Amino acid sequence: MAAIGKSEWEVKIPEKTLKEKLYFENLKATVIDTKLCSRCLTCACVCPVDGIIAIDGVEFPNYEEECTDCSACVKVCPRFVYEPKSGLGSYIEFIAGQSKRFKGQDGAMVTELIVSAIEMGMIDRGLFVGRDEDWVTEIFHVRDIEQLEIPTLGGTKYTFARVLPELKKAVRFTKKGVGVVGTPCMVSGVRKLQQEFPLFREKIKLVVGLFCTENFHYDELTKYLKEKGVDFSKLIKTDITMGKFIATMTDGEVKFKVRALEEILPSGCNVCTDFTAVESDTSVGSVGSAAGFSTVVVREENAKKIIDFIKKKGYADFGEAKPEELGFLIGHKKKREENIGK
Amino acid sequence: MIDINALISTIMNNQVNIPLLQPLLDPLLGMPVIGYIIALILWKPFFVLILIPGFATMGIMLLILPWIERKMVGRMQWRVGPREISPHTRGIIQLLADSLRFLFQEVIIHKDAHKLYFLQFPFLYFIPVLLPLLFINAGTAGNPLVPIQTDYALQIMVALISLMPVFILGVGWASNNRFSFIGTVREAFLYFAYEIPFIVVILAMIVLYGTSNTVGVIDKQSGVWWGIIQNPLAALTFFIATVMATARLPFEIPEADQEVSFGPFVEYSGIAFGLAYVMGYEKMYVLSAIMTMLFLGGGSGPVIPGLGDLSYGIWFVIKTLIVLVVMANLRGVYPRYRLDQGLRIGWGAMLILALIALGWSIVVMGVRL
Amino acid sequence: MKKVATPEYDIKDKLKHHVSALSTAAKEVVMPLNVTTQYPRERRKMPDCFRGYILFDPERCISCFQCSFVCPANAIWMKEAPSGRYYPTLDYGKCIFCHFCVDTCPGGALKQTKIHDVAYKDMDEMFTLTEEMIEPPEIIREDEGYVDYVIDKEDLSLKRTKGIDKLIVDVAPSQGVPLVSLCVEPENCLGCGICEGMCESGAVSSLKEDGMVRMKIDVDKCTGCGLCVKECPMQILRLFRE
Repeated sequence: MAAIGKSEWEVKIPEKTLKEKLYFENLKATVIDTKLCSRCLTCACVCPVDGIIAIDGVEFPNYEEECTDCSACVKVCPRFVYEPKSGLGSYIEFIAGQSKRFKGQDGAMVTELIVSAIEMGMIDRGLFVGRDEDWVTEIFHVRDIEQLEIPTLGGTKYTFARVLPELKKAVRFTKKGVGVVGTPCMVSGVRKLQQEFPLFREKIKLVVGLFCTENFHYDELTKYLKEKGVDFSKLIKTDITMGKFIATMTDGEVKFKVRALEEILPSGCNVCTDFTAVESDTSVGSVGSAAGFSTVVVREENAKKIIDFIKKKGYADFGEAKPEELGFLIGHKKKREENIGK
Repeated sequence: MIDINALISTIMNNQVNIPLLQPLLDPLLGMPVIGYIIALILWKPFFVLILIPGFATMGIMLLILPWIERKMVGRMQWRVGPREISPHTRGIIQLLADSLRFLFQEVIIHKDAHKLYFLQFPFLYFIPVLLPLLFINAGTAGNPLVPIQTDYALQIMVALISLMPVFILGVGWASNNRFSFIGTVREAFLYFAYEIPFIVVILAMIVLYGTSNTVGVIDKQSGVWWGIIQNPLAALTFFIATVMATARLPFEIPEADQEVSFGPFVEYSGIAFGLAYVMGYEKMYVLSAIMTMLFLGGGSGPVIPGLGDLSYGIWFVIKTLIVLVVMANLRGVYPRYRLDQGLRIGWGAMLILALIALGWSIVVMGVRL
Repeated sequence: MKKVATPEYDIKDKLKHHVSALSTAAKEVVMPLNVTTQYPRERRKMPDCFRGYILFDPERCISCFQCSFVCPANAIWMKEAPSGRYYPTLDYGKCIFCHFCVDTCPGGALKQTKIHDVAYKDMDEMFTLTEEMIEPPEIIREDEGYVDYVIDKEDLSLKRTKGIDKLIVDVAPSQGVPLVSLCVEPENCLGCGICEGMCESGAVSSLKEDGMVRMKIDVDKCTGCGLCVKECPMQILRLFRE
């Protein structure tokens, strides 16, 4: 008999709050129905039967038959036992950067970070979010710089992307490692995955967090924007600057106050207090630096290495970033702590 | 004015005598028109040229010789040979089937070929191949069976045979194909290698017999004193030169299938290829007939009762067939020589052998005198 | 570089070799041997391991998909039978007759035969359904038996033997390589129990206790079919040699 394989092993499972129900029902009762769910889809990433999907909220259509009651979704859910995080978090460096190679919404530093990590050999694929003509998000596995010629890869979409369900595929195919870009809730999910399963611990080498005030559901956002007069076939980019939502189209702009969007604010975001993706390796966002630059918060050693690599190769210009400019939005999100449990 | 009576008497005085058929022929000879035709056919020179060992025999040989060759080589190589075309007769009509196929196949003349010469040369080639039959003596001592008696018969035959490769060169040139060029150059190289020993050997036999008239040649081989016994080295050299001249297997250098795919004839298809294919066997037959005449005593042999003059012809054909069979046999025994090896044999061993044979003839002549 | 030199013979040896070659040829002309098999009327004797038409025994099939995994030409498709199980179908248009499928079949459901002359009218017909693989195909034969040639190594004589050949080989079910499925990364296990559901021989069992799932593979029961290895969502099972 081979020495490596084991014929007997044990798997720890968490306790159920509802004893008689399946684990997914527990998850549903604790997270989804209490409107804590942020739709990060970490549960869908790990579900062995690929049953969990997000159509109108996270669902498992016929869980009574298909669910194997394995507890994986409960294990990895970052909000099953919710510990809200906030603030700026710890960091090594706080700088502003502008990529010379790529053009993006601000400094295109997310693209630059992932591509540089591929060039360094740290990872061999990064998960990017693209979009189709109707601004429905699609996931791209970027393995080569040439793939970045797809113009829709960069830029903010302000809608949920199903990044994490693709993560399982990426992790299985990768040889060196995977880089993931995500909102703070996704970052939390990835960290939870890494905490529970060695497979993800070994294979996910880089987690890039994004500054996030809120993220919208596709259907609701498109409906709202259409009411405001945004034509999706002409839409070039969306942006939030100085408290205003700006949708740039080929023939003009639509502007309105961000506060107006709060009527379609997803329930998961309503309880989210993390603005800067505290748990990530590095966070990137537009707030806190000059126009055309991205703020980069370097938190971990691996991200520091990439920044050093970029500096050495001269792929990007670096400048001063002001942490105090983030204060308002951090405080804004910190206030949402009150919403938890309501 | 041709004296018709003199012509008729010439024909009638020189008739082939076949005692067995005489009762059948006599009434036919009495008939008005058929009589003249029969008389013409039985006129010795005409009979020899047309029937034995001339065109008719050659035609039959051409039909069965490839079959004999393929069957024999097949047996040597533990195969069966041609069979499926007529299993009960062991595939003897194989060549007939092949030639029918050739006949109805499209003849392709590619656009770079010299059209005129491409079609002309295979037909012109028949002239040097067939004309030597005019001088072949299939008779025996004191009873010649020869179409034309001349004192320069052997020289004319050598001249015609030396003309053959010229047509092959022409064929190769007109084909305008790299394989045919290679094959042609090989043929040209080999031509000089075998032609000189060949001529020297004929010279040796002329010296030995003291005449170049084919009637005299046969007369000098009376009894068992065939040419092969009088000068065996010459016979060997002549045989090897024949094999080389007909491009049979150990010296199949110009036409090597695996290297230049039938050499000068690579562009030929249909009936034109059939002609080229048959040409090799015709050349074989003519050269074997010369070999029989020069070295194997012509038509000499035990007289078959009742056949008269025909008996000599039959012996001549049998001997020719034996030479042909031995030549075909080599195909199953030897692999192909390289060009340089072939040339070395031609210019080296064969030339030396031929010169020794010439010396031998001179010595024998000196002793006789 | 080593050069191969031509052997040096003097003229006596050369003559001797020529004579020997010619006399051997003459002997073969007169008394020939023959190794030709006149195919439609005769057939060569095939060895029992001949890789020909493949037969299928559904009762031995455990639907493990091994044949379809191993097929290098992707000729084997697994098709769902009315019973809900999956059985192989074979596309002879793609099959390269490597018989890897026969070798890997853990239950010996696929069997080799010596049938090598099946003709089809079109490509679609070459796609052989499971039902058609159970019985050997109908072939009209001219031959009545096989012909075999045995060459004596000492005097190179040839013996021709005839006999009746069975085209279907009775082979003992192939043992193959005894494989067993084991877990290589127990830490990554989700405890989902998919492996338990897939296992046909009941070798995998999971037991839920409080705060713990005990997974167990019964090595003695495991047939090494690899279904659990294929289906495991975290890919933590591997097949090992027993």
